[in-house]
Amino acid sequence: MNGRLWEIFLNSFTRILIPGLLVTIPLTLLAFFLAMIIATIVAFIRFANVRIIKDICRFYVWIIRGTPLLVQLFFAYYGLPILGITWNSPFVCAVVVFALNEGAYASETIRGALNSVPEGQIEAGYCVGMSYLQIMMRIVLPQALRAAFPALMNGLIGMVKDTSLASNITVTEMFFTTRTIVTTTYEPLLLYLEVAMIYLLFSSVLSKLQVYVEKKLNAQVGKE
Amino acid sequence: MIEVRNLKKTFDRDPILKGISFNVEKGDVISVIGPSGSGKTTLLRCLNFLTPSDEGTLVFDGKTYDMAHTSKKEINEIRKKTAFVFQNYNLFLNKTALENVTEGLIIARKTDKVIANKKAEEMLEKVGMLERKDRYPSQLSGGQQQRVAIARALALDPEIIYFDEPTSALDPELIGEVLEVIRQLAAEKRTMIIVSHEMNFVRSISSRILFMDGGVIVEEGSPEKIFGDPKEERTREFLKTYRR
Ligand SMILES: Nc1ncnc2c1ncn2[C@@H]1O[C@H](COP(=O)(O)OP(=O)(O)OP(=O)(O)O)[C@@H](O)[C@H]1O
Ligand SMILES: [Mg+2]
Repeated sequence: MNGRLWEIFLNSFTRILIPGLLVTIPLTLLAFFLAMIIATIVAFIRFANVRIIKDICRFYVWIIRGTPLLVQLFFAYYGLPILGITWNSPFVCAVVVFALNEGAYASETIRGALNSVPEGQIEAGYCVGMSYLQIMMRIVLPQALRAAFPALMNGLIGMVKDTSLASNITVTEMFFTTRTIVTTTYEPLLLYLEVAMIYLLFSSVLSKLQVYVEKKLNAQVGKE
Repeated sequence: MIEVRNLKKTFDRDPILKGISFNVEKGDVISVIGPSGSGKTTLLRCLNFLTPSDEGTLVFDGKTYDMAHTSKKEINEIRKKTAFVFQNYNLFLNKTALENVTEGLIIARKTDKVIANKKAEEMLEKVGMLERKDRYPSQLSGGQQQRVAIARALALDPEIIYFDEPTSALDPELIGEVLEVIRQLAAEKRTMIIVSHEMNFVRSISSRILFMDGGVIVEEGSPEKIFGDPKEERTREFLKTYRR
């Protein structure tokens, strides 16, 4: 690599990494956290067969899974203001869209995991006098979340990368910044490779974390 | 103590219980025997409202319940007095042996934690599982899991315990340890209804035996009578399959 390229590489590294740490990661974590809450509630409602709300939840999952994430972002950021729904910042809009999007997918993961908990666990709970809610919160949900954990982590890793789509609604995350730098340096090969490396770095950290937490979770129920 | 009258249950138009009636007195050890599919499990499940009944009356401690129309409150009232031991143990998989026993006490009964732990340890001691109180179900053998399940049932001070084939999921060499625990409970005059295919065991511990076939109680009587001198042809036929 010649000296000029090397210099561009080094200079842009921190310029890309900083929005990575300050925007991409917070956006991912915040949206994922909200997604988990949404997913748990939606999965719970559908599992427990709560009338009417259940249908609303199914509708929500249907819409989200049936439309592209990029379209959802554009719809929310450029479309909704026409209906009078405005956003404080593109960041907030992105958090909401990513949370709703991941929430729909993860709700299906969690619902499947809830269904995989043997019926006998619930019956045993009834027999020792617990209420449905107590059984769900203390017995079924912990087991389901443990079973769903690898798939949920998959969703998290996917989301880190998908946040690059937020560049399209002017969120100044890593990819947005990289594109800006490309317009001044004209080195797309180098810079897109560089940002790809940083995404890979982030995902790898999460993968490692997944392995570690999975071990912990298994130890918690006495499995090797 | 308990009186069941005309209990009926149909699954998909298939009558499974066709009018079951019997009494249980305090201290009774009642065994229910009968061929596979005769409705034994369904009977126990109906008694504990895990399966809703179509028809029937339950008199429990002098109070009468319409089994087809019970409120949540009534179901809780009855479940508080009963315990259930499942064929496949159904221990809470995310709880240790000790937690399995304390869960109902602390969460459902709001018992003080210290008292609940003490009680749970006592019960685990009784079934010989105290040394393994911190193990998870996945770290216990079937026999050990079933003994913990019995401790969990006992901790709730039930007036009656229902056992649904407590040993039929176990390897032969593990059956003895579980039967021994149940035998000890019988010696303590605990009221129990036991569904079992362990004929020697049933014969030696029961105060009364119900023989079920095709959703009805075909014959009922003392172990001596049922095993020694059964009146009904169907009972004789059934018992023959167990004699070798
Ligand atoms: N939830 C259910 N839905 C439909 N049919 C059922 C259900 N539960 C039980 N049955 C049917 O009811 C009949 C009696 O079942 P039950 O489990 O009570 O028999 P059992 O006497 O306990 O037999 P086993 O000795 O094999 O345990 C069977 O034919 C079974 O197929
Ligand atoms: Mg059965």
